[in-house]
Amino acid sequence: MDFKLLKILDKCKPLFQRMDIDYEVMRRILYIKLLLDGRRVPTVFGNNKKGKDADDKNMFLRSLWIYLLMGLILLPFVMMKNNYLFQMSIVFGIVMFLVMTSLISDFSSVLLDIRDRSIIGSRPVGRKTLSMAKSIHILYYMLALTAALVGPALVASLFFQGPVFFLLFIVSLILVNIFCIVLTTLVYFLVLRFFDGEKLKDIINYIQIILSLVVMVGYQLIGRMFRIVDLKIDFKPGWWQYLIPPIWFSAPFQMLKKSEINNYFIIFSAMTVIIPLVSLIIYIRLMPLFEKNLQKLGNNNGNRVKRKRKSEGLLVKLLCHNKEEKIFYSFSMKMMKNERSFKLKVYPTIGFSLIFPFLFLFQSLQGSGIKELTQGKTYLFIYFCGIMLPTLLMMTRYSESYKASWIYKALPIGNLKSVYQGTIKAFIIRIFLPVYAIEAAVFGVLYGTRIIPDLFAVLLNLLIFSILCFLLLDKKLPFSIAFNTTQQTNSGMGIALIFLLVVQVGLHFIATLFAYGVFIYLCISVIILIILWETAFAVSHS
Amino acid sequence: MENFKTVEIKDLSMNYGAKEVLKGINLEVHKGEIIGYIGTNGAGKSTTIKIILGIVEGWRGEVKVLGQDIKKDTIEYKRKIGYVPEVAEIYDNLTAREYLTFIGSLYGLKYEVADEKAERLMMVFGIKDAYQSRINSYSKGMKQKVLLIASMLHNPDILFLDEPLSGLDANSVMIVKEILSTLAKQGKTIFYSSHIMDVVERISNRIILINDGQIAADGSFKQLKERSKEGSLEQIFNQITGFSEYEALAKQFVSIVEE
Repeated sequence: MDFKLLKILDKCKPLFQRMDIDYEVMRRILYIKLLLDGRRVPTVFGNNKKGKDADDKNMFLRSLWIYLLMGLILLPFVMMKNNYLFQMSIVFGIVMFLVMTSLISDFSSVLLDIRDRSIIGSRPVGRKTLSMAKSIHILYYMLALTAALVGPALVASLFFQGPVFFLLFIVSLILVNIFCIVLTTLVYFLVLRFFDGEKLKDIINYIQIILSLVVMVGYQLIGRMFRIVDLKIDFKPGWWQYLIPPIWFSAPFQMLKKSEINNYFIIFSAMTVIIPLVSLIIYIRLMPLFEKNLQKLGNNNGNRVKRKRKSEGLLVKLLCHNKEEKIFYSFSMKMMKNERSFKLKVYPTIGFSLIFPFLFLFQSLQGSGIKELTQGKTYLFIYFCGIMLPTLLMMTRYSESYKASWIYKALPIGNLKSVYQGTIKAFIIRIFLPVYAIEAAVFGVLYGTRIIPDLFAVLLNLLIFSILCFLLLDKKLPFSIAFNTTQQTNSGMGIALIFLLVVQVGLHFIATLFAYGVFIYLCISVIILIILWETAFAVSHS
Repeated sequence: MENFKTVEIKDLSMNYGAKEVLKGINLEVHKGEIIGYIGTNGAGKSTTIKIILGIVEGWRGEVKVLGQDIKKDTIEYKRKIGYVPEVAEIYDNLTAREYLTFIGSLYGLKYEVADEKAERLMMVFGIKDAYQSRINSYSKGMKQKVLLIASMLHNPDILFLDEPLSGLDANSVMIVKEILSTLAKQGKTIFYSSHIMDVVERISNRIILINDGQIAADGSFKQLKERSKEGSLEQIFNQITGFSEYEALAKQFVSIVEE
């Protein structure tokens, strides 16, 4: 198996040899790195990973399709002809955001690979050769990513805006890429300088989460974006724009197409060229210093003081009645807080469930105005923030350290009931309640205090829903399975659960038709919840 | 006949930030020696090895490997060295075949040569069936065997081994010990670093003890025994590093546990 990139590089072989680089070795290193890329799961795949080595097909190449789809969002902005400063700023803004977050999410493991030093550095490979291999690798990745992302927009620009625009676009994109790499490395460098490796890993984790969330939500917005093609925007230059890179990059386009030439735009255009090139030079100079700080990633000197909040102790006492439940509540809380892979899989889904009800609201907005809406019953859409509950609940069974689950069998845990109860309680407090609180607050503001009883009813019913989910899904011990195991998603079960949710919405709706119906519904819910809570967890485990 | 000096170290010092890790190491190693390189945690063992391998920078002094100053020529001397790290750093998303042929190519071995050699070596270790499987699916012992093969594939003259037997079962341990002694008889130099004193005692023909950044003892096991009048290497180690409280500490540990 050979890579196209390598074949292209072969043609430049003499060039490399003149630079005093061992071409064969460099080629070999690049080959291995590209091979490893193909086996790493890109963040944009989210939860769609199937099995460890199911396919040997290149994961990375497949993720490029996702970027292509995301790139469609750029099309309307490229096709507009009203205010290039505005539209191209948006284009470059989106490109920079996606490129940088992808760089950080997927490529951190490459940019920050300290294994290279030990594995390759102890072998007869020159520094220059290794650095060149690494640089080409990163450049290749960025080019592939940007090409996939901006491909459709580039083609559109050729047709809608002309060849000069097209060329300008390409040059700007190259400069943007350089700028992104330097910015990202600078961020790493600063973090490593002032903090330790663990902090950096945490930050990378959060960025991965943000990227996943944006990708998830972005899909929803693509369709709606095309409606703004006809918008007329007036853009006045101001001092704050000097600080926003996308605006610099868009100035040349405004000058080109609208022939508006003024000092602002000239300065911006100059910045577009100068700043990336200057930062590139600084980057090359600072590389050795950066490598030195990279060693910090290997040292775990964590002087991290974990403050134990008093409120947490109180909460545990209030919620859990027996010792074992308390233990597993605390344990699950800590696992959910600390484990990065868990957060990466769960937080984007949480973000999505936050937004989901609002998507429905927007749809309704198309039909009627806001005033009308707030008088009606559409607040019931809030139920849909529970749609991801089955998925989220299933997440608690996975963990990076799943092998440690032997302790469940080895320790004297009498009844697994407490294990499940403690874990579910932690799950509800940490994951479900914050989401619901935000939703309820927003809906409360929109619809007014009249829906407060309804909000409580929804809360109770969603709790009932979570327990029902637990009951109906396969019972597995929390944090006991590896992440990449194929989820035997019984799709029949998934549909049944969503159906259940709809039934709850329906019941609530019916309750609202009667006077005091909601309160009666509330009381019934409380009773059902208590009954379920006591009986649902008595699970016998083989 | 002067025995060729394979490794020469003069006044090697190094700091990690404010901490002085190596305080002037002086060492001469010859062909055919199996050096048991021991010391407490943080004494500077791994650092010395990493310096010789060129993985770590910022040191002062002179280091010559096979007659070449490693500050002047940073690449060629590495062709004759093999290394098994303590922490198994390996690209484990690769198969053993991919990894070993890659490492072989870094030493200038042709793909087919490395491939065939690696496969046969895996067979000797009894793991040939896993040759095309990904290393991240291997057990600890299997990973260790791959690391051992990677360190010797190119027939190095000097071997640096840091806890090379970790994870290996007793039979494999015997094989490796025999391999090492055969290599030494053929004139290769072996640096063997470990915390397991019995093995070091039996394998090495020269023992170097590093304590607190300096060499605290250098000689054959016999010589060390005469010097400190203790029976086993473990006891000699304790004596030289000034550690005599193990009984008190153990008592304290057990009493806390039994509270």
